Amino acid sequence: MGYSKRRIKKIALERIDILMNLAEEAYRKGELDRMRRYIELSRRIAMKARVSFPKKWKRRICKKCLTVLIYGENCKVRTVSDKNCPHVAIKCLNCGNVIKIPMVREKKLKRKLKRMKKEDK
Amino acid sequence: MRSDDAPMITPQNILRHELIGLDVEILEASNPSLVGIKGRVVDETRNTLVIEKYDGREVVVPKDVAVFKFKLGDKYVKVIGSLLIGRPEDRLKKKIKNIYPY
Ligand SMILES: [Zn+2]
Repeated sequence: MGYSKRRIKKIALERIDILMNLAEEAYRKGELDRMRRYIELSRRIAMKARVSFPKKWKRRICKKCLTVLIYGENCKVRTVSDKNCPHVAIKCLNCGNVIKIPMVREKKLKRKLKRMKKEDK
Repeated sequence: MRSDDAPMITPQNILRHELIGLDVEILEASNPSLVGIKGRVVDETRNTLVIEKYDGREVVVPKDVAVFKFKLGDKYVKVIGSLLIGRPEDRLKKKIKNIYPY
């Protein structure tokens, strides 16, 4: 009857996917309490099974007000080219919370390419 | 709604899998007024399932007094409710006793 860790993690990922799809559906129907409940459950499942929340969904929830973010509808996505820390900012229009995804590595690569081009000339 | 090429939920893992979103029917219950309820599971707690009937009303059904019939794709699975006891996130790792020792 022993279930291996790998199988439990696989089931956990499937359950998270089901719950997040249902949460999105609930948001579209306007059932906000139910949406929050589904997101809360899916995050608890991820914690219990010790899996990282899937990338596909990780950036699509607001951790502060537990809302599904639909790009261009209830959130604002901008790139901020800050000198110290360039990042992509996702702002939840429901509560105003901002998710920052750093893109230092990408910016550095871009600068490097620019320099190489200059040297070629 | 859910794209099932390879069914995720099987009769073997339904006790650990997600019940929310499944179609359900109650086959037996200690309370006769609960028998025959059909609908969709919308929420789950440690001891109860919340079922939304097709007319939109919600019913709270205790898990341990009922026998449920879940719809998985085009198949049906009968589940004894007392096996489903446990919070949804705890059911993931729950040890299940062998109820049919053969
Ligand atoms: Zn928010």
